[in-house]
Amino acid sequence: MTMLLMIVPIVVGIWVVATLESWVSTGRFRPGRPLAAAVAMLGQESLVPRRPDRILFEIAPPILLAAGIAATTVLPLAAEVIVIDLATGGLFVNAAWVYVVVALIMAGWGPNGAYAMVAGWRFLAQLIAYAMLTVMPITAVAMRAESLSTTAIVESQASGTWNVITQPLGFVLFWLAAMAVAFLPPFDHPVAPTELAGGVTAEYTGVRLAIFRLGRLTLILTLAAAVVVFYLGGWLGPWLPASAWTAVKTLTVVAAMLWLGRWVPRVRSEHLMAWSWKLGIPLALVNILWVGVTLWAVDR
Amino acid sequence: MMPTIFIALFGAAAIWFGVRVFQTSSMVRSALSLLGAMAAIGGMFLAMEAEFLGVLQLMMMATEMSIMAIFMVMYMMDPGGLGQMDMSHQQREALAAGIVATLLAVAVALLVNWGTVAKEVDSTTVQLRALGIEIMERSMLLFETVGVTILVSMIAAIAVAVAREPKR
Repeated sequence: MTMLLMIVPIVVGIWVVATLESWVSTGRFRPGRPLAAAVAMLGQESLVPRRPDRILFEIAPPILLAAGIAATTVLPLAAEVIVIDLATGGLFVNAAWVYVVVALIMAGWGPNGAYAMVAGWRFLAQLIAYAMLTVMPITAVAMRAESLSTTAIVESQASGTWNVITQPLGFVLFWLAAMAVAFLPPFDHPVAPTELAGGVTAEYTGVRLAIFRLGRLTLILTLAAAVVVFYLGGWLGPWLPASAWTAVKTLTVVAAMLWLGRWVPRVRSEHLMAWSWKLGIPLALVNILWVGVTLWAVDR
Repeated sequence: MMPTIFIALFGAAAIWFGVRVFQTSSMVRSALSLLGAMAAIGGMFLAMEAEFLGVLQLMMMATEMSIMAIFMVMYMMDPGGLGQMDMSHQQREALAAGIVATLLAVAVALLVNWGTVAKEVDSTTVQLRALGIEIMERSMLLFETVGVTILVSMIAAIAVAVAREPKR
Protein backbone atom coordinates (compact mmCIF):
# COMPACT_ATOMS: atom_id res chain seq x y z
CA MET A 1 0.00 0.00 0.00
CA THR A 2 2.80 2.39 0.94
CA MET A 3 4.39 1.44 -2.35
CA LEU A 4 1.31 2.74 -4.23
CA LEU A 5 1.13 5.80 -1.98
CA MET A 6 4.71 6.60 -2.97
CA ILE A 7 4.42 5.98 -6.73
CA VAL A 8 1.89 8.77 -7.39
CA PRO A 9 3.90 11.57 -5.69
CA ILE A 10 7.10 10.35 -7.37
CA VAL A 11 5.49 10.40 -10.83
CA VAL A 12 3.96 13.85 -10.21
CA GLY A 13 7.31 15.01 -8.80
CA ILE A 14 9.16 13.82 -11.91
CA TRP A 15 6.68 15.68 -14.11
CA VAL A 16 7.14 18.91 -12.12
CA VAL A 17 10.96 18.55 -12.23
CA ALA A 18 10.81 18.03 -16.01
CA THR A 19 8.57 21.09 -16.42
CA LEU A 20 10.88 23.19 -14.24
CA GLU A 21 13.94 22.00 -16.16
CA SER A 22 12.46 22.94 -19.53
CA TRP A 23 11.26 26.26 -18.07
CA VAL A 24 14.78 27.05 -16.86
CA SER A 25 16.47 26.03 -20.12
CA THR A 26 13.99 27.51 -22.63
CA GLY A 27 12.48 30.36 -20.59
CA ARG A 28 8.97 29.20 -21.43
CA PHE A 29 6.58 27.59 -18.94
CA ARG A 30 4.95 24.65 -20.75
CA PRO A 31 3.46 22.03 -18.38
CA GLY A 32 2.53 19.81 -21.32
CA ARG A 33 6.07 19.65 -22.67
CA PRO A 34 7.38 16.67 -20.62
CA LEU A 35 4.53 14.49 -21.89
CA ALA A 36 4.99 15.66 -25.48
CA ALA A 37 8.75 15.07 -25.23
CA ALA A 38 8.17 11.58 -23.82
CA VAL A 39 5.75 10.67 -26.60
CA ALA A 40 8.16 12.05 -29.20
CA MET A 41 11.07 10.07 -27.75
CA LEU A 42 9.08 6.85 -27.55
CA GLY A 43 8.04 7.27 -31.18
CA GLN A 44 11.60 7.94 -32.31
CA GLU A 45 13.79 5.20 -33.75
CA SER A 46 16.16 3.87 -31.09
CA LEU A 47 19.48 3.70 -32.92
CA VAL A 48 22.38 1.42 -32.02
CA PRO A 49 25.80 2.86 -32.90
CA ARG A 50 28.38 0.91 -34.90
CA ARG A 51 30.32 -1.78 -32.95
CA PRO A 52 28.98 -0.91 -29.51
CA ASP A 53 29.63 -2.81 -26.28
CA ARG A 54 26.05 -3.97 -26.55
CA ILE A 55 25.53 -5.20 -22.97
CA LEU A 56 26.83 -2.01 -21.34
CA PHE A 57 25.01 0.15 -23.91
CA GLU A 58 21.68 -1.54 -23.16
CA ILE A 59 21.84 -1.75 -19.35
CA ALA A 60 23.22 1.74 -18.62
CA PRO A 61 19.85 3.62 -18.80
CA PRO A 62 17.95 1.01 -16.72
CA ILE A 63 20.73 1.09 -14.07
CA LEU A 64 20.48 4.90 -13.84
CA LEU A 65 16.70 4.60 -13.41
CA ALA A 66 17.10 1.78 -10.86
CA ALA A 67 19.58 3.88 -8.84
CA GLY A 68 17.07 6.75 -8.70
CA ILE A 69 14.18 4.46 -7.75
CA ALA A 70 16.29 2.67 -5.10
CA ALA A 71 17.08 6.03 -3.49
CA THR A 72 13.39 6.94 -3.30
CA THR A 73 12.61 3.82 -1.24
CA VAL A 74 14.36 5.10 1.90
CA LEU A 75 13.27 8.75 1.71
CA PRO A 76 10.12 9.42 3.76
CA LEU A 77 7.20 11.46 2.46
CA ALA A 78 5.69 11.61 5.97
CA ALA A 79 6.25 9.89 9.33
CA GLU A 80 4.74 6.55 8.25
CA VAL A 81 4.86 7.02 4.47
CA ILE A 82 8.11 5.37 3.45
CA VAL A 83 8.69 2.23 1.38
CA ILE A 84 11.34 0.71 3.68
CA ASP A 85 12.56 2.44 6.83
CA LEU A 86 16.05 0.91 6.83
CA ALA A 87 18.17 1.36 9.95
CA THR A 88 20.98 2.19 7.51
CA GLY A 89 18.88 4.54 5.35
CA GLY A 90 21.45 7.36 5.29
CA LEU A 91 24.07 4.94 3.98
CA PHE A 92 21.72 3.13 1.60
CA VAL A 93 20.79 6.35 -0.20
CA ASN A 94 24.50 6.90 -0.88
CA ALA A 95 24.92 3.34 -2.09
CA ALA A 96 22.11 3.98 -4.59
CA TRP A 97 23.72 7.21 -5.84
CA VAL A 98 27.07 5.49 -6.41
CA TYR A 99 25.43 3.39 -9.13
CA VAL A 100 24.86 6.63 -11.07
CA VAL A 101 28.61 6.58 -11.75
CA VAL A 102 28.47 2.94 -12.81
CA ALA A 103 25.59 3.74 -15.19
CA LEU A 104 27.36 6.76 -16.67
CA ILE A 105 30.63 4.88 -17.19
CA MET A 106 28.65 2.16 -18.99
CA ALA A 107 26.78 4.77 -21.04
CA GLY A 108 30.11 6.41 -21.87
CA TRP A 109 31.96 3.23 -22.83
CA GLY A 110 29.09 1.29 -24.40
CA PRO A 111 28.29 3.28 -27.57
CA ASN A 112 31.91 3.29 -28.87
CA GLY A 113 31.86 7.07 -29.37
CA ALA A 114 34.53 9.62 -28.46
CA TYR A 115 32.26 12.25 -26.90
CA ALA A 116 30.42 9.71 -24.81
CA MET A 117 33.61 8.09 -23.55
CA VAL A 118 35.24 11.40 -22.56
CA ALA A 119 32.02 12.36 -20.75
CA GLY A 120 31.79 9.03 -18.91
CA TRP A 121 35.32 9.22 -17.55
CA ARG A 122 34.81 12.88 -16.69
CA PHE A 123 31.98 11.87 -14.41
CA LEU A 124 34.32 9.44 -12.66
CA ALA A 125 36.61 12.41 -11.94
CA GLN A 126 33.55 14.26 -10.68
CA LEU A 127 32.77 11.34 -8.35
CA ILE A 128 36.26 11.62 -6.85
CA ALA A 129 35.44 15.28 -6.17
CA TYR A 130 31.97 14.94 -4.68
CA ALA A 131 32.00 11.49 -3.03
CA MET A 132 33.38 12.58 0.33
CA LEU A 133 31.15 15.65 0.35
CA THR A 134 28.00 13.55 0.24
CA VAL A 135 29.10 11.11 2.94
CA MET A 136 30.77 13.43 5.48
CA PRO A 137 27.84 15.87 5.93
CA ILE A 138 25.49 12.86 6.34
CA THR A 139 27.82 11.62 9.11
CA ALA A 140 27.26 14.88 11.01
CA VAL A 141 23.48 14.65 10.47
CA ALA A 142 23.50 11.06 11.77
CA MET A 143 25.52 12.21 14.81
CA ARG A 144 22.67 14.49 15.87
CA ALA A 145 19.98 11.88 15.20
CA GLU A 146 22.11 9.10 16.76
CA SER A 147 20.78 6.99 13.90
CA LEU A 148 21.20 6.44 10.16
CA SER A 149 17.47 5.91 9.70
CA THR A 150 16.01 8.71 7.57
CA THR A 151 12.84 8.96 9.67
CA ALA A 152 14.93 9.22 12.85
CA ILE A 153 16.95 11.99 11.19
CA VAL A 154 13.77 13.99 10.49
CA GLU A 155 12.45 13.35 14.02
CA SER A 156 15.75 14.58 15.49
CA GLN A 157 14.92 17.98 13.97
CA ALA A 158 11.42 18.07 15.53
CA SER A 159 12.66 19.29 18.90
CA GLY A 160 14.48 22.55 18.39
CA THR A 161 15.90 23.68 15.11
CA TRP A 162 16.37 22.14 11.69
CA ASN A 163 19.83 20.96 10.70
CA VAL A 164 20.18 23.80 8.19
CA ILE A 165 20.43 26.19 11.19
CA THR A 166 22.63 24.00 13.40
CA GLN A 167 24.88 22.70 10.58
CA PRO A 168 24.94 25.42 7.91
CA LEU A 169 28.35 24.34 6.63
CA GLY A 170 27.23 20.75 6.13
CA PHE A 171 24.09 22.01 4.37
CA VAL A 172 26.05 24.05 1.81
CA LEU A 173 28.52 21.23 1.15
CA PHE A 174 25.80 18.61 0.80
CA TRP A 175 23.74 20.87 -1.47
CA LEU A 176 26.67 21.40 -3.85
CA ALA A 177 27.60 17.70 -3.76
CA ALA A 178 23.96 16.81 -4.52
CA MET A 179 24.04 19.05 -7.59
CA ALA A 180 27.25 17.31 -8.68
CA VAL A 181 25.69 13.84 -8.23
CA ALA A 182 22.77 14.81 -10.48
CA PHE A 183 25.24 16.46 -12.91
CA LEU A 184 23.22 19.66 -12.87
CA PRO A 185 24.91 22.83 -14.17
CA PRO A 186 27.54 24.04 -13.25
CA PHE A 187 28.62 20.40 -12.71
CA ASP A 188 27.14 19.03 -15.95
CA HIS A 189 30.39 17.52 -17.27
CA PRO A 190 28.93 14.17 -18.35
CA VAL A 191 26.41 15.83 -20.66
CA ALA A 192 28.05 19.23 -21.33
CA PRO A 193 25.78 20.27 -24.25
CA THR A 194 28.06 23.04 -25.45
CA GLU A 195 31.30 21.06 -25.67
CA LEU A 196 30.50 17.33 -25.82
CA ALA A 197 27.21 17.47 -27.74
CA GLY A 198 25.30 15.66 -25.03
CA GLY A 199 28.22 13.56 -23.72
CA VAL A 200 26.98 10.21 -22.39
CA THR A 201 23.58 10.81 -24.00
CA ALA A 202 25.09 11.74 -27.38
CA GLU A 203 24.60 8.27 -28.90
CA TYR A 204 21.26 7.47 -27.25
CA THR A 205 17.93 7.98 -29.01
CA GLY A 206 14.34 6.83 -28.67
CA VAL A 207 13.25 4.56 -25.83
CA ARG A 208 16.77 4.25 -24.40
CA LEU A 209 17.11 8.05 -24.19
CA ALA A 210 13.64 8.27 -22.61
CA ILE A 211 14.68 5.81 -19.87
CA PHE A 212 17.93 7.74 -19.36
CA ARG A 213 16.04 11.05 -19.01
CA LEU A 214 13.51 9.49 -16.65
CA GLY A 215 16.36 8.12 -14.53
CA ARG A 216 18.02 11.52 -14.33
CA LEU A 217 14.77 13.27 -13.35
CA THR A 218 14.17 10.66 -10.62
CA LEU A 219 17.73 11.22 -9.45
CA ILE A 220 17.26 15.01 -9.22
CA LEU A 221 14.05 14.45 -7.25
CA THR A 222 15.71 12.06 -4.78
CA LEU A 223 18.67 14.39 -4.22
CA ALA A 224 16.36 17.32 -3.47
CA ALA A 225 14.29 15.07 -1.19
CA ALA A 226 17.49 14.02 0.59
CA VAL A 227 18.44 17.69 1.17
CA VAL A 228 14.96 18.18 2.68
CA VAL A 229 15.16 15.07 4.88
CA PHE A 230 18.68 15.72 6.12
CA TYR A 231 18.60 19.51 6.57
CA LEU A 232 15.14 21.07 6.09
CA GLY A 233 13.11 19.10 8.61
CA GLY A 234 11.53 16.65 6.15
CA TRP A 235 7.76 16.56 6.68
CA LEU A 236 7.83 18.94 9.68
CA GLY A 237 5.89 22.20 9.42
CA PRO A 238 2.68 23.89 10.58
CA TRP A 239 -0.83 23.97 8.99
CA LEU A 240 -0.26 21.80 5.90
CA PRO A 241 -0.36 17.98 6.02
CA ALA A 242 3.04 16.29 6.52
CA SER A 243 3.41 14.91 3.00
CA ALA A 244 2.50 18.31 1.50
CA TRP A 245 5.38 19.87 3.39
CA THR A 246 7.82 17.30 2.01
CA ALA A 247 6.49 17.95 -1.52
CA VAL A 248 6.64 21.74 -1.25
CA LYS A 249 10.14 21.74 0.24
CA THR A 250 11.48 19.18 -2.24
CA LEU A 251 10.18 21.04 -5.28
CA THR A 252 11.49 24.34 -3.90
CA VAL A 253 14.94 22.78 -3.53
CA VAL A 254 14.73 21.41 -7.11
CA ALA A 255 13.74 24.86 -8.42
CA ALA A 256 16.57 26.51 -6.48
CA MET A 257 19.13 23.98 -7.78
CA LEU A 258 18.02 24.49 -11.39
CA TRP A 259 17.90 28.28 -10.98
CA LEU A 260 21.38 28.41 -9.41
CA GLY A 261 22.89 26.46 -12.29
CA ARG A 262 21.73 29.12 -14.74
CA TRP A 263 23.98 31.79 -13.28
CA VAL A 264 27.26 29.93 -12.88
CA PRO A 265 29.61 28.88 -15.68
CA ARG A 266 30.58 25.19 -15.88
CA VAL A 267 33.28 24.42 -13.32
CA ARG A 268 36.35 22.85 -14.89
CA SER A 269 37.08 19.25 -13.85
CA GLU A 270 40.46 19.97 -12.29
CA HIS A 271 39.14 23.04 -10.45
CA LEU A 272 36.23 21.02 -9.10
CA MET A 273 38.60 18.33 -7.80
CA ALA A 274 41.06 20.84 -6.35
CA TRP A 275 38.33 22.80 -4.56
CA SER A 276 36.62 19.67 -3.27
CA TRP A 277 39.79 18.17 -1.83
CA LYS A 278 41.62 21.28 -0.65
CA LEU A 279 38.61 23.22 0.61
CA GLY A 280 35.53 20.96 0.71
CA ILE A 281 36.91 18.03 2.70
CA PRO A 282 38.62 20.20 5.38
CA LEU A 283 35.36 22.16 5.73
CA ALA A 284 33.40 18.89 6.03
CA LEU A 285 35.78 17.85 8.84
CA VAL A 286 35.26 21.23 10.54
CA ASN A 287 31.51 20.62 10.22
CA ILE A 288 31.78 17.21 11.94
CA LEU A 289 33.90 18.73 14.71
CA TRP A 290 31.46 21.64 15.10
CA VAL A 291 28.46 19.31 15.35
CA GLY A 292 30.30 17.12 17.84
CA VAL A 293 31.20 20.07 20.04
CA THR A 294 27.71 21.62 19.92
CA LEU A 295 26.03 18.27 20.70
CA TRP A 296 28.44 17.76 23.60
CA ALA A 297 27.80 21.30 24.89
CA VAL A 298 23.99 20.80 24.68
CA ASP A 299 24.28 17.47 26.50
CA ARG A 300 26.13 19.01 29.43
CA MET B 1 14.51 -21.42 4.08
CA MET B 2 14.11 -18.26 2.00
CA PRO B 3 17.38 -16.67 3.22
CA THR B 4 19.25 -19.89 2.32
CA ILE B 5 17.81 -19.78 -1.21
CA PHE B 6 18.81 -16.14 -1.60
CA ILE B 7 22.30 -16.78 -0.21
CA ALA B 8 22.70 -19.62 -2.73
CA LEU B 9 21.41 -17.50 -5.62
CA PHE B 10 23.66 -14.53 -4.79
CA GLY B 11 26.58 -16.92 -4.24
CA ALA B 12 26.04 -18.49 -7.65
CA ALA B 13 25.80 -15.01 -9.21
CA ALA B 14 29.07 -13.98 -7.50
CA ILE B 15 30.87 -17.05 -8.91
CA TRP B 16 29.40 -16.52 -12.40
CA PHE B 17 30.48 -12.85 -12.47
CA GLY B 18 33.87 -13.91 -11.10
CA VAL B 19 34.31 -16.27 -14.04
CA ARG B 20 33.19 -13.54 -16.46
CA VAL B 21 35.99 -11.29 -15.19
CA PHE B 22 38.54 -13.57 -16.88
CA GLN B 23 36.51 -14.53 -19.92
CA THR B 24 36.47 -11.07 -21.48
CA SER B 25 39.26 -9.08 -23.12
CA SER B 26 37.50 -5.75 -22.49
CA MET B 27 38.93 -4.03 -19.44
CA VAL B 28 35.69 -2.20 -18.67
CA ARG B 29 33.61 -5.36 -18.95
CA SER B 30 36.11 -7.16 -16.74
CA ALA B 31 36.04 -4.44 -14.04
CA LEU B 32 32.25 -4.22 -14.13
CA SER B 33 31.95 -8.03 -13.94
CA LEU B 34 34.03 -7.89 -10.80
CA LEU B 35 31.61 -5.23 -9.53
CA GLY B 36 28.79 -7.67 -10.31
CA ALA B 37 30.53 -10.34 -8.20
CA MET B 38 31.11 -7.90 -5.33
CA ALA B 39 27.52 -6.61 -5.47
CA ALA B 40 26.30 -10.23 -5.35
CA ILE B 41 28.37 -10.70 -2.17
CA GLY B 42 26.65 -7.55 -0.84
CA GLY B 43 23.36 -9.29 -1.62
CA MET B 44 24.57 -12.34 0.36
CA PHE B 45 25.27 -10.10 3.36
CA LEU B 46 21.76 -8.63 3.07
CA ALA B 47 20.28 -12.15 2.88
CA MET B 48 22.22 -12.98 6.06
CA GLU B 49 20.60 -9.92 7.71
CA ALA B 50 23.95 -8.13 8.04
CA GLU B 51 22.37 -4.96 6.66
CA PHE B 52 25.20 -2.53 7.34
CA LEU B 53 27.84 -4.79 5.79
CA GLY B 54 25.62 -5.43 2.78
CA VAL B 55 24.89 -1.77 2.07
CA LEU B 56 28.52 -0.82 2.70
CA GLN B 57 29.70 -3.54 0.32
CA LEU B 58 27.29 -2.33 -2.40
CA MET B 59 28.43 1.28 -1.94
CA MET B 60 32.19 0.87 -1.60
CA MET B 61 32.63 -1.68 -4.37
CA ALA B 62 30.77 0.43 -6.95
CA THR B 63 33.18 3.31 -6.34
CA GLU B 64 36.27 1.13 -6.20
CA MET B 65 35.53 -0.96 -9.26
CA SER B 66 34.71 2.18 -11.29
CA ILE B 67 38.06 3.68 -10.35
CA MET B 68 39.77 0.36 -11.06
CA ALA B 69 38.14 0.35 -14.51
CA ILE B 70 39.81 3.61 -15.52
CA PHE B 71 43.20 2.41 -14.29
CA MET B 72 42.82 -0.81 -16.28
CA VAL B 73 41.90 1.19 -19.36
CA MET B 74 44.87 3.51 -18.84
CA TYR B 75 47.51 0.82 -18.36
CA MET B 76 46.45 -1.96 -20.71
CA MET B 77 47.60 -2.02 -24.32
CA ASP B 78 44.22 -3.11 -25.70
CA PRO B 79 41.58 -1.84 -23.24
CA GLY B 80 38.59 -2.52 -25.48
CA GLY B 81 39.71 -6.06 -26.27
CA LEU B 82 39.01 -5.39 -29.95
CA GLY B 83 42.64 -5.78 -31.07
CA GLN B 84 42.61 -9.58 -30.49
CA MET B 85 45.67 -9.18 -28.28
CA ASP B 86 46.41 -12.09 -25.94
CA MET B 87 47.03 -10.60 -22.53
CA SER B 88 47.48 -13.88 -20.65
CA HIS B 89 50.85 -15.26 -19.58
CA GLN B 90 52.34 -17.93 -17.29
CA GLN B 91 49.19 -19.98 -17.76
CA ARG B 92 50.43 -23.18 -16.10
CA GLU B 93 51.64 -21.37 -12.98
CA ALA B 94 48.38 -19.40 -12.80
CA LEU B 95 46.35 -22.60 -13.11
CA ALA B 96 48.37 -24.28 -10.35
CA ALA B 97 48.05 -21.23 -8.06
CA GLY B 98 44.30 -21.12 -8.74
CA ILE B 99 43.79 -24.79 -7.87
CA VAL B 100 45.87 -24.52 -4.68
CA ALA B 101 44.01 -21.37 -3.57
CA THR B 102 40.61 -22.97 -4.26
CA LEU B 103 41.57 -26.08 -2.28
CA LEU B 104 42.79 -23.90 0.60
CA ALA B 105 39.55 -21.88 0.61
CA VAL B 106 37.44 -25.07 0.57
CA ALA B 107 39.60 -26.55 3.35
CA VAL B 108 39.11 -23.43 5.49
CA ALA B 109 35.35 -23.51 4.87
CA LEU B 110 35.07 -27.19 5.82
CA LEU B 111 37.63 -27.54 8.61
CA VAL B 112 37.08 -24.39 10.68
CA ASN B 113 34.67 -24.72 13.58
CA TRP B 114 32.15 -21.98 12.80
CA GLY B 115 30.18 -22.54 16.03
CA THR B 116 26.45 -23.08 16.19
CA VAL B 117 24.24 -21.52 13.54
CA ALA B 118 22.42 -18.45 14.90
CA LYS B 119 18.66 -19.00 15.02
CA GLU B 120 17.87 -15.31 15.38
CA VAL B 121 19.78 -12.19 14.44
CA ASP B 122 19.81 -8.96 16.44
CA SER B 123 17.97 -6.02 14.91
CA THR B 124 20.06 -3.78 12.66
CA THR B 125 20.02 -0.98 15.25
CA VAL B 126 21.55 -3.32 17.84
CA GLN B 127 24.09 -4.56 15.27
CA LEU B 128 25.09 -1.01 14.36
CA ARG B 129 25.56 -0.09 18.00
CA ALA B 130 27.67 -3.19 18.64
CA LEU B 131 29.76 -2.44 15.55
CA GLY B 132 30.32 1.17 16.64
CA ILE B 133 31.39 0.14 20.13
CA GLU B 134 33.71 -2.52 18.68
CA ILE B 135 35.38 0.05 16.42
CA MET B 136 35.65 2.71 19.11
CA GLU B 137 36.88 0.38 21.88
CA ARG B 138 38.67 -2.90 21.22
CA SER B 139 39.54 -2.35 17.55
CA MET B 140 40.34 1.37 17.87
CA LEU B 141 44.11 0.89 17.77
CA LEU B 142 43.86 -1.48 14.81
CA PHE B 143 41.67 0.90 12.78
CA GLU B 144 43.81 3.93 13.58
CA THR B 145 46.99 2.04 12.63
CA VAL B 146 45.53 0.85 9.36
CA GLY B 147 44.10 4.31 8.60
CA VAL B 148 47.40 6.10 9.21
CA THR B 149 49.29 3.45 7.21
CA ILE B 150 46.98 3.92 4.22
CA LEU B 151 47.30 7.71 4.50
CA VAL B 152 51.10 7.49 4.61
CA SER B 153 51.19 5.17 1.60
CA MET B 154 48.89 7.53 -0.32
CA ILE B 155 51.13 10.51 0.43
CA ALA B 156 54.20 8.45 -0.51
CA ALA B 157 52.58 7.35 -3.77
CA ILE B 158 51.73 10.95 -4.67
CA ALA B 159 55.25 12.07 -3.77
CA VAL B 160 56.71 9.39 -6.05
CA ALA B 161 54.26 10.14 -8.86
CA VAL B 162 54.66 13.93 -8.92
CA ALA B 163 56.79 14.80 -11.93
CA ARG B 164 59.89 16.80 -11.14
CA GLU B 165 61.03 19.66 -13.30
CA PRO B 166 64.12 18.53 -15.20
CA LYS B 167 67.30 20.35 -14.14
CA ARG B 168 68.53 22.83 -16.68
